[in-house]
Amino acid sequence: MREITENKEYPGFLLKCNEHLKLDSGKSISNFQIAYQTYGKLNEQKDNAILICHALTGDQFPAEESPITKKNGWWDLMVGPDRPIDTNKYFVICSNVLGGCVGTTGPNDINPETSKIYGLDFPTITIRDMVRVQKILIDELKINKLVSVIGGSMGAMQVLQWAATYPESVKSIISVAGSLKHSAQNIAFDEAGRQSIMLDPKWHNGQYLDKDDKPENGLSVARMIAHITYLSEKAFQNKFGRNLQEKKDLSFGFGIDFQVESYLRYQGRSFVDRFDANSYLYMTRAMDYFDVSEEIQKNKEEIINNEVRFLVLSFTSDWLFPTKESKEIVSLLNSIGSNVSFAEVVSDRGHDSFLLDEPQFFRVSEGFLKGIK
Amino acid sequence: MRSDYKIILDLIPENSKVLDIGCSDGELISLLADKNISAQGVEINQERVISCLGKGLDVIHGDINLMVEDFPHNQFDYCILTQTIQAVQKPDVLLNTLKKVGKNIIVSFNNSARLSKIVKFLLSGSFDSLLKKSDSDQWYNTDYIHPCSIKDFRKLTLDLDLRIIGTYDVINQKKFTNDRIPSNLFCKEVLFHLTND
Repeated sequence: MREITENKEYPGFLLKCNEHLKLDSGKSISNFQIAYQTYGKLNEQKDNAILICHALTGDQFPAEESPITKKNGWWDLMVGPDRPIDTNKYFVICSNVLGGCVGTTGPNDINPETSKIYGLDFPTITIRDMVRVQKILIDELKINKLVSVIGGSMGAMQVLQWAATYPESVKSIISVAGSLKHSAQNIAFDEAGRQSIMLDPKWHNGQYLDKDDKPENGLSVARMIAHITYLSEKAFQNKFGRNLQEKKDLSFGFGIDFQVESYLRYQGRSFVDRFDANSYLYMTRAMDYFDVSEEIQKNKEEIINNEVRFLVLSFTSDWLFPTKESKEIVSLLNSIGSNVSFAEVVSDRGHDSFLLDEPQFFRVSEGFLKGIK
Repeated sequence: MRSDYKIILDLIPENSKVLDIGCSDGELISLLADKNISAQGVEINQERVISCLGKGLDVIHGDINLMVEDFPHNQFDYCILTQTIQAVQKPDVLLNTLKKVGKNIIVSFNNSARLSKIVKFLLSGSFDSLLKKSDSDQWYNTDYIHPCSIKDFRKLTLDLDLRIIGTYDVINQKKFTNDRIPSNLFCKEVLFHLTND
């Protein structure tokens, strides 16, 4: 049984599913729920819907003011009235991913079988599992075909997974700063982040909520490591250089001397308030496991017959998901004979460019959407 | 419509798959699409890429000199290079790659050795007249880095083992008969239809 209700914890809605969902790991979950938010209006034909997929630390609030940070939503520049994804025209849906910590079922929810918090008993999930759950939501909203599925970074992984698994349900997809598979270097960074969390004694083998505790230091260091990978050398240099933090001389100690240290610590600390450590473990693992190449090849007939149109975008200074990896997506899509476009946006702000004010990026996306009939 | 496009539209059969290199704002791709020919463009200029996307056309943004290796082999029936070959860094390398990417190659360019150009060159004593693509071009900043004649291009096709199926005088819209080389001195714009078999 499935039921849509208002979300009492956050703005938006909840889709509650009283059913078993078989996961890639072979395990399944039951009684799961999907937290989502919508913007704009679904038309009568239900053919103006766009699904937005969020990145690792995103949530279901890309537009307007975020109820969590009280700042503009993470893709506020991209989604809204008269924005590239124009909510005057499109009905925009964004859901918190499976395993997330903003309302959709994840490791910190109660396991219906034991009535205890899941913790590490939550099954390992994949990007495909996240997309399966999104498909259930789209089906429940009675939408047959999405105009587009759009996302950056881990969102781009979901986007490609949509095209591979449900090509009949999408007219187009936009993959921003993504890849066909997580690179060895990216798995390495993820592992460093996870170890940082798991070696924090306050992690308590994942059962920290039972102990009313939180691995704040571990999660904060994980975020600091990850944050470095989201920027570029030039972005750091431009923003901070070797400037000292509120002092004129070096301290000859290990406190904060440089502005960049202060910035990183702030990034780590503030992340802890809005994100959950176990969710971080599960979601980075899902990214590590991601490799969609084979499935795209296997389903090439369906992708071609459904005339799915692809736009692949990358940023020049992104070294976490470099242009080379976007070009691999393009090459694969070309080799199966699909409709693919590609653009590389010049930006020196690294992987995070996709969340920032990059007018070229917006114009390319808007242009592509305009061409979707 | 540009004269070389007219010839190309007549040449390419319906339902073909085409790669248009240096597709600009996608005019040719749109025309091909009207004929039920699916084409993908390659374009270096981002504004033109955006313009293509807005028309619902498939386009790859990038520098063809750096990216030909990215295209999988045997994916296209036709690769088209209109008014582009003289601006490519290594025309021989590009054609050699296109040979693997598509069955047919169509190349159009302005004959740099036509009489009017040579006379201009002799009278002015300046290479600007031979290397000009637009009015602002000078010998040191022109995109036309490989001016070539019809004779030069025919020699290149021999060197690369490409077979010429047809040669066209673009301005006069006529096909040269196989045994007659188009006049190297008088033909302004030429179009070659080549094949890799």
